[in-house]
Order: sequence, then C-alpha cells, then structure tokens
Amino acid sequence: MAGFFFLFGKRSFSNPPRFLLFSKIPILCSSTSSLVSSSQTLARSPIGSGFNNVVGGGIGGFPRVSVPRRFSSHPAAVPDLKTADGLTVDAIAAKDWPILGESESDWRSHAAAIAQSIQLIKKRMQWRKLIVRLDQVSAVLNKPDLWDDPVSAGRISREHGELLSKMKEVNGYEQELLEHIDLMKLAREENDEELEWESMKALVNMRRTAKEKELEALLSGDNDSCSCFIEVQAGAGGTESMDWAAMVMNMYKSWAQHRGFVVTIVEEMPGEIAGIKRATIKVDGDYAFGYAKAEVGVHRLVRISPFDSGKRRHTSFAAVAVIPILGDGSTRYQIKESDLRIERFRASGAGGQHVNTTESAVRIVHIPTGISATCQNERSQHSNKASAMAVLQSRLDQLEMARQAQLNAEHTQSLTDISWGNQIRTYVLHPYRMVKDLRTNYEVSDPDSVLGGDLDGFILNFLSYLLDKDEASV
Amino acid sequence: MTLRFPFPVCSPLPPVLASSLHRRLSIPSRSSSSFSPTPLFSSDHRPPLFLRPPAFAASRTDLHDFRRWAESLALAAGPRLSASDGGPDAALLRRELAWLVEDATVAAASESGVGEELRLRVELEELYRLWKARIEERRPFQYILGCEHWRDLVLVVKEGVLIPRPETEMVVDLVAEVEGFEKGLWADLGTGSGAIAVGIGRMLQEGGRVFATDLSPVALEVARLNVERYELKDKIELRRGSWFEPLRDVEGKLMGLVSNPPYIPSSHIPGLQAEVGQHEPKLALDGGDAGMDHLLHLCEGSASALKSGGFFAFETNGDEQSEFLADLMSIKLGNFFHNIKMISDFAGIQRFVTGFRR
Repeated sequence: MAGFFFLFGKRSFSNPPRFLLFSKIPILCSSTSSLVSSSQTLARSPIGSGFNNVVGGGIGGFPRVSVPRRFSSHPAAVPDLKTADGLTVDAIAAKDWPILGESESDWRSHAAAIAQSIQLIKKRMQWRKLIVRLDQVSAVLNKPDLWDDPVSAGRISREHGELLSKMKEVNGYEQELLEHIDLMKLAREENDEELEWESMKALVNMRRTAKEKELEALLSGDNDSCSCFIEVQAGAGGTESMDWAAMVMNMYKSWAQHRGFVVTIVEEMPGEIAGIKRATIKVDGDYAFGYAKAEVGVHRLVRISPFDSGKRRHTSFAAVAVIPILGDGSTRYQIKESDLRIERFRASGAGGQHVNTTESAVRIVHIPTGISATCQNERSQHSNKASAMAVLQSRLDQLEMARQAQLNAEHTQSLTDISWGNQIRTYVLHPYRMVKDLRTNYEVSDPDSVLGGDLDGFILNFLSYLLDKDEASV
Repeated sequence: MTLRFPFPVCSPLPPVLASSLHRRLSIPSRSSSSFSPTPLFSSDHRPPLFLRPPAFAASRTDLHDFRRWAESLALAAGPRLSASDGGPDAALLRRELAWLVEDATVAAASESGVGEELRLRVELEELYRLWKARIEERRPFQYILGCEHWRDLVLVVKEGVLIPRPETEMVVDLVAEVEGFEKGLWADLGTGSGAIAVGIGRMLQEGGRVFATDLSPVALEVARLNVERYELKDKIELRRGSWFEPLRDVEGKLMGLVSNPPYIPSSHIPGLQAEVGQHEPKLALDGGDAGMDHLLHLCEGSASALKSGGFFAFETNGDEQSEFLADLMSIKLGNFFHNIKMISDFAGIQRFVTGFRR
C-alpha cells in the first residue's frame, strides 16, 4: 500500500469514488504491482498522467520514490485539487455554466451545480476557520509537554482527528467531482459511449447527494452532534403564559419525536391552574443539539386567551434554552463533590419509616456558581439524583464553554444569554394567523402545524442565516 | 460534632430481650387479617404488575377513559389526603397514575399513536379496582404495582414487607466508601425486601458476601425473589432469625453491619400516615417506647459481631435518636468503637449513625 499512498499522496484519496470499482481503468483500484506493470494504461489515462504531473513521473512510468506524506498533519498544505487540464472547483463554479434540470444530459450543468454545492458546504463549514484552527491544533499537538495534561491533550487530539476527518470528507468529494470531469472529457475524446454514460450517471448521483451534504454542513458546529436538554420557562402573565409554555414544550416534544429523537421529561413544574411554570426535557439522538440550538430565545404568543372570561387578546412569552450534553469524557467542567449541596425536594416531616411517598425528587446546588438542577420524574431518588447531576454537569459545561468562547475569539458560536428582550419568533393566532421568525423573517401561515412540531423550516432557515451572518463578519 | 445527651446518660438502657422480641414478631401479617378484603389480591403469589405477561387488551379510548376517571379521583382526593395525614397530593397521585399505566401497558404501544388496541398486563376492570384501592383504602402505591424503584433497582414488594424508603438508599453509598468493602463479609439485619443486601451484593467482588437476616418468612420470601432477580444467589445468603441469632457462626468475622431496624416510637404508630399505619407491617416499624429497642440491641451486639476495624451503619428515626446513639457508642461503648459519625439524609435530618469497631 505504500506505493499507493505515495502515488496519490498529494491528492487526498481516502475514499475511492464508486465508479472506480467498475471502471475500464483497472489501475486505480489495484495494488502497487499492477500499477507499475500497467504503465501503458497509466499513460493513456488522464488521471494517471495528472498524477504523473503532480508527483513527477519516474522512468518508464515507475514513480520516483519520495517520503510519503500520509502522516502529515497538514492536509491544509495540500495544493488546490485540479482536473487534468487545471480546473479547480472554484474555477468551475466561476464559469457560470447554466444549471439545467437534473434530467438534462449536460455534464457541465451537473458539474456547475455540484461545484456550487461544494462552495456552499465549505462556506457553511467555515472552511477558512477550519484551516486556521487545524494549524493551531497541530501546533499544540507538536508541543513536547502536550501530555503533561492528559485531559486537555485528549481533547486536543480528538479535535484534531475530527477536523481532519471533516476536511478529508469534503476534499474527497471535490476529488470525486474532478475525476468524473476528467473521465467525461476522456470519454468524449475517445468516443467511449459507455464510459460517458457511466460518468454522466455518477455526476447526477453526486448532484443528488450534494443537497443532503449541504444540509449536513449546517450542523458542523462544535457540539452539534450532541444530544441536548431543552428548557422552557413561562414568562410573566400567570395562567395564560404558563399555558403558552406548555404549548411550546409540546411543540418540541412532537418535533423531536417526529425526528426520531428519544424524549424524556426531566423536570416539570406545573402551573396552579394549567400549563407549566418551567420544564426540562432531554432529547437524545444524533444532532439533537445542532437543530435545537436554533430555538434558543423568547417565543411570543398573541391570541384570545381561553383563560380570560372577557375574551380579550393577550400577549405572552416563553423562554427557551438549549444545552448540549457533551459525551462521556469530554465534559469541560470538573465538579468537585465538596462543592455540591444535595437537598430533598419538597421534603416535609419526619421522613424515614414514618412516611410512604413516591416523591423522591432532589435538587443539587453547585455552591461556587449557585447553579442548581432538579429532577423529579424518575422513579427512585438515586435516579433523580443521577438525572439532576447530568443536567447540572451540562449547565456547568455550557458556562465553561461560554467562558472559553470569550477568551478564545475563534469560538464565537456561544449561545447568547436569554433575556426577555431577546424575542426570536412570534406566533399570532388572532386577529390573523401566522408564525414569523424575527431573525430570518421566515414565516408560515399555519400556526397549528408549527405548534404540532413542524419546525424544520424555521430551524434550517435560521441555521443557514446564522452561517451567512458569520461568514459576513469574518 | 458536639456531644449532647438528649436523655440522661445514666438512665438504664431499655433491656432488649430476645423473648419479648419474638413475641412481637410472631404477630401474623396484618394484610391478611383486619383489612377490608379485596378478592383480586387473595392470590398472593402473583408477580408484580410489570412482570406479568400482556395477556389482556383494551382500546385506546378505554384506557383514555380510565385515565380521565382516575385523574378526577386524584384531583378530588389529593388535597384531602395531604391535609389529613401528609398523604399524597394531587400532583403526586397523577404521577403515580402515569407510572401505573406505564407498568400495566406494553411499553412500545403507550407512546405511538398506531393501532387502536393496547396490550395490558391486567384486565381493565382490575385497573379501576387498583386505583380505587389506592385512593379510598390508601393502599400504598408500591403494593399496588408490586414493586418499588430503589436506587437503580426495581425491587419486588408486597404486603407484609416494609417498602424500602428513599433515605435508605444512602446506606449502600456509605458501605461503598469503606476501604476494601468489596471482599468482606457483610450483614444486613432485618433485611425486609432485601433492598440493602441487593444494593451491596451488586458491588461485591470475589470473596465478598452478604448475610441478610429477617424473622419474617414473608420478608424472606420477597428478599429471595429480589436476590434471584438480580442473580446474586452466590453473593447473598438469606437466614431466618432475630437480629444476630442466625449469625453465630460468623461472630467476630464481619467486616460490616448495616440495618434499618424498626425505630418509630410506639406512641407514634396510631398517628402514622394511612399508607404506613394501615398497610405496612408493624413489626418493621415499631421500635418500642422510645423507638430505640432494636437500635440499642444492634449497637450492643455489634461489638461482638464485628471484627476489628469493622464498619457499621444504622438508620434511625433522625436527629434525637442519632445523637443518643452516637453519644452512647463514643462514650459508654467507647472502648469498642471509634470514629462515630452522624450522617444527614438529603432532607437535612441526621438519619444515620456510622462508626468502626476498634
């Protein structure tokens, strides 16, 4: 395999494109020996010659031996990927080839659409920031005293791996496009209809998956892949706003269930007459935080209150917070046992054998920060304590991340503090019907479907808006 | 810790006579005698609700109707129950109702909206009867389900066995802090449902063992179920008898002793919350005049039962009893014990007394 790596070392080639497996050009998926022995075919292939140009051809097709670059921690140093005739993805996009429908057999149109997607994906991933960050992380990794602090060393090397694999995936995708273009040109030159048809098919497939990849790229933030807690708190205004808070919470429960996340109620403080004063749910699943973070802020409801006998129009507010649940081992804040005060929630009387109760809620207070967490929905005190502890850990992690974000200008994606002035969305049920996001101006005229959990439009719009804004401010 | 004596130190300790203990403990289980008979519980050997096969069916609407009926019963009764003797309020009853439905239905069906038929582990009519017994007869929720969630365990319980309390969970944590506890011999005296023994047994390693004793055959039967359910037969040995009696062969060899003995003063028994006073076994609650008959017996017996360096943790009725015992053990029995501590539960009540054999 060393030769294989050597030959393709300068062009990250981790995932051989699917077509190679069926291609008429056997060399690309074969071992070093066949590469060498089939130098004739190599010469014929534009890809082969492309590589020869990059790497420098050896005598009679034998590659010149040099130190492989595969252990390099600097894929950013890889030169721009190009086709045989020197086209880059950016160059393709800049050509302004007309983009026609998917059904049209025009390879330029497909290539242009894919190139645009790749540009968008890179933009959403904040490509330039990634390169800067990778350089920083690599520099830290090369420090000799790195492992003096094993926790931070672990975190750094994990981040390094994640960055590398993120970038490798996009590079691989770029690579795939360029190679299909090369093959397409070759097929045309040689009048090889079968190859042309296969390449066209491959381009159309790429174009289809590109849309999915654009969406995935929206969720490339630090903790986007985590599960999360969603918390809803009623604003001032008594029963009407507590009812609103309950509606908001139900909206998230249905949204999460539709998306296939597992929802568990951690804490719920019911209102006296209806609704909730506050509630916390846990949303388990890939990218739960990445999506739900778009919901942070104050949600405003305008309707004729069913709790008002005068049938007047009311405006109420509910605040939403979303906290990522960092995976095991990646918690940012080390909690000291001695800093905790654990209290039985709503305990009264003698306790012990005197009392039979199924109420076993506990509140855990982190004394230095004053941050606390309560869980009352588990069936044993032990489990309530464990759940409350998980909430507390996440809250402290979030605090720590916010602190680090202030220290480190690279990480600007901290959640803004929720103040009641920070309204993000209005839901009007009367006199007209509409839900409007105040950040993106995205709006929908069917509040029932939104309150029933159809939130994806709002979320995706906000996520792309967020990244556009970020990009503009760089 | 300030040493303060709530009772005169010189007062003679109430003598604990095994014979009187036996007399009290031989009272037949209360559930079978005076309480209004509910025919569906006559078969005492039915497994807890959540372990029964889903042999029954009901429509979603039927279950919905049941919930609405049960909820209205809870809302009406809650304020009265909590005001009268500190019983459950409406919010707590509604949560219990949700758990009842959770245990009685097949999990997958309860959430999704597909399919009109729901599979139940009891007949729908029995659900009605169970909830009625909960509200009107104040039958403890845990007896109705036949289980108690305790620590990370789901323990089988039934009439005749004390329902393990949340406070008692901490005894297991206290044991886990003892150095080398994993390989020692432990005793859980008056094990009841076997809660503490199972909690400890699950943490033990090669060579570690718990002797769990109880005088009540019903308790031992339930404890056996729990030990088997958690596959701890090779770690926990159940023995029948009063306190130290069944442990003669390991006298002086125990690394630790734990117990949640009856500690309620006899005079408090008539005023207890209905779920406790009318349904739970008195022999697991009544601690004699000052509530300390058994605790004192345990303190004295520990000196010979524990090996040198051995640990004990006893649950008490709270502050006064704990202070009294802590003083007793560090002063009068100071030759035998040291490092005596009182530990608070999460409600801030000094619930446990712990210490070491010299």
